[in-house]
Amino acid sequence: MAKTISVSLNEEKAVFGFKPIDRSALYGRRRRVAFDVEGNECSKASLLSDGSLLLQSGMTAQGYFLGDGTWVPQSELSAISVDGKPLDLHPSTVGVEVPLTEVAPQEALSISFSNTYLLEAEEFSPKLKEALDSGKIFSFPFNVKEDYNVETGLLVGNESGYFALIGNKVDYQVCTLEQVATVSEDSSDSSNDDLDFEMF
Amino acid sequence: MRIHLSNAIARNATVVAVGVKLQDSSIPAKDGSPVSFKRYIAAGEGTLHSDLIKKLGDDYSKALVEADPEVDFETVGRSIEGTTSVLMDKAGNPLYCAPEVFEIIYGVDGKETERRTPIDVAPNINEDVPIKWTGRLIPRADLVRKFAIKRTMQFKHVDGVTFDFLHAIAKELEEKDSVMLLASGVDGKSPLVFQTNGTPYRGFLEGRTAGEGFLLLLHLSNMELKRPT
Repeated sequence: MAKTISVSLNEEKAVFGFKPIDRSALYGRRRRVAFDVEGNECSKASLLSDGSLLLQSGMTAQGYFLGDGTWVPQSELSAISVDGKPLDLHPSTVGVEVPLTEVAPQEALSISFSNTYLLEAEEFSPKLKEALDSGKIFSFPFNVKEDYNVETGLLVGNESGYFALIGNKVDYQVCTLEQVATVSEDSSDSSNDDLDFEMF
Repeated sequence: MRIHLSNAIARNATVVAVGVKLQDSSIPAKDGSPVSFKRYIAAGEGTLHSDLIKKLGDDYSKALVEADPEVDFETVGRSIEGTTSVLMDKAGNPLYCAPEVFEIIYGVDGKETERRTPIDVAPNINEDVPIKWTGRLIPRADLVRKFAIKRTMQFKHVDGVTFDFLHAIAKELEEKDSVMLLASGVDGKSPLVFQTNGTPYRGFLEGRTAGEGFLLLLHLSNMELKRPT
């Protein structure tokens, strides 16, 4: 059975199938490829910072470790809060009816988005559809799988369709006169390079 | 990073923009003790499957039982702190001369449509010509409904003058309940590029005020919310 996002607002229900979309599906993509002198595509490896070993595909692994270096299997992991208290595991919301809450645009812009889903309606209350078509924005709790952190989903609609935008709420820090920034308050862009596009 | 920004009447200033980072709400743990995530070496040189076949033949299972030819005791388990990327040729040897680099363009169907010599694109957010207001005001709600926001940066002042400059922008945009589309370049139409060959983004400036303070956000998008064709 296909996974669904199921929501309700004042007894008005909607059920959507969902699939992730990214810009390569809308605009294509580009990548830079290096070729050796014989015209073969080069592969990438990693040289350790001390130059002692060249790491090729298949030579590395990753995992979680206790402070004393003991490896912890994924199945034994749990989570604690920043102040060290144990956290509850929240079940997946996929296929489970969750409540919608109307949010103001400013609140919607206080979310750091990580995933975008295109929605296909399987059941769609006319009143809810009307509200989305009129430009209203709704939020709902979202957990694609059992997790310690429940994300926030936004349900929006436009001329092209209906979408779920998934992310976590951000607490912005207001700037005051006394808090002068320094250039060392830096940030870097780790995003993948891809095509420019015509949005307008 | 520093950004050269202009306002509605083309007055400009160089200010700081920082990435908005999420606060960690949960820390992975085991039995209440926090754990850390690490990359480590799982196989040493000459111990991968393909290497073992060369050394021991196709059926080397007996050799695995009798000895441990797949384990390099000197390196396995060592954590990986920093690395440098190295290009390898078809035979798996490091490249000792500069490769030929092409930019390959793929269509929405994933098929290659063009292959060309790449042109480096320079960052354009802190140049002589400041980032400009395009004059295109977009209601906040429309920004949420029509664009996928990939990143958000927050502008910060570097002195009292830039505090007033940014506060005034934030107040002006807040009163309009809209965001302003920004653009770079002399023509004021180019998307924002933050680093050499970085992703081009459309930037949307949003302002909020709180008492004497302000919040000026730069929402970055490289994707419209629309159905793939």
